[in-house]
Amino acid sequence: METKKELETKNRTIPAACDIFQGEGNVVLNMEMPGVSKDGLEISVDNDRLLIHGKKNIKHPAGEFRIREIRDGDYYHEFTIDSTIDRNKIDAAINNGVVTLTLGIKESEKPRKITVNVK
Amino acid sequence: MALVRWKNKDLYDPWASLRSLQNEINDLFETDRSPAATGLFDRSFSPAIDVIEGEQAFTVLCELPGLEQKNIDVSVESNVITIKGEKAVEKEEKKGKFFKKESWSGSFQRTLPLPASVDIEGIDASLKDGILTIELPKKEEAKPKQITVTTK
Repeated sequence: METKKELETKNRTIPAACDIFQGEGNVVLNMEMPGVSKDGLEISVDNDRLLIHGKKNIKHPAGEFRIREIRDGDYYHEFTIDSTIDRNKIDAAINNGVVTLTLGIKESEKPRKITVNVK
Repeated sequence: MALVRWKNKDLYDPWASLRSLQNEINDLFETDRSPAATGLFDRSFSPAIDVIEGEQAFTVLCELPGLEQKNIDVSVESNVITIKGEKAVEKEEKKGKFFKKESWSGSFQRTLPLPASVDIEGIDASLKDGILTIELPKKEEAKPKQITVTTK
């Protein structure tokens, strides 16, 4: 029973605070993942799924907790992306614990202006 | 009898996703969103903190994603430590719309009373990956001492 509980807490994931912004020609995802370094971040695209896994790496010094508000567990997010997103135009950056994903929209899906010619 | 495809029961657990949902909901009730200790001038935004008491020092961990060193101000006055700062709102985003906004921005402040055993002079703070770590060493007289017993 103990080991089972241990396993469960080990695999516990928490959602990160997330901003989704649609700009011109791209979609920008901002996720707050404090404690995640560049090496601990895994982003993968599986068909129409965008998986983001951030390994929280906080070293707790030995001792007793007096206040404990920071949640344990890795950050995990799963998004469904449709065919308008160009799979080759996904950029990711991490800075001070904030992950910024820029998803480019396919050229063919962008709004196009058609000029009317007067004859 | 026709051949039945072998299935490893350990690989697929039908209750796994249900259990994770249960954990998620339990988490909502277990973690208190309101901070455990607030001072008089604390703002509505309260970054989560951990305080750990070790043998040699106290350690304060504070979650500050997206903040830079220059935006964080840590000060100690009459045995009260104050973590202050401001998270800038991004103004560069011009055209477009937000579908979801869960992050916060603006100024925050957290104050923590310190025990008398903290050595104010030796306080050290560092910021890495959005986590602010403040080391508060204990005074020499407050550290545990081992007394050796001599036999005569």
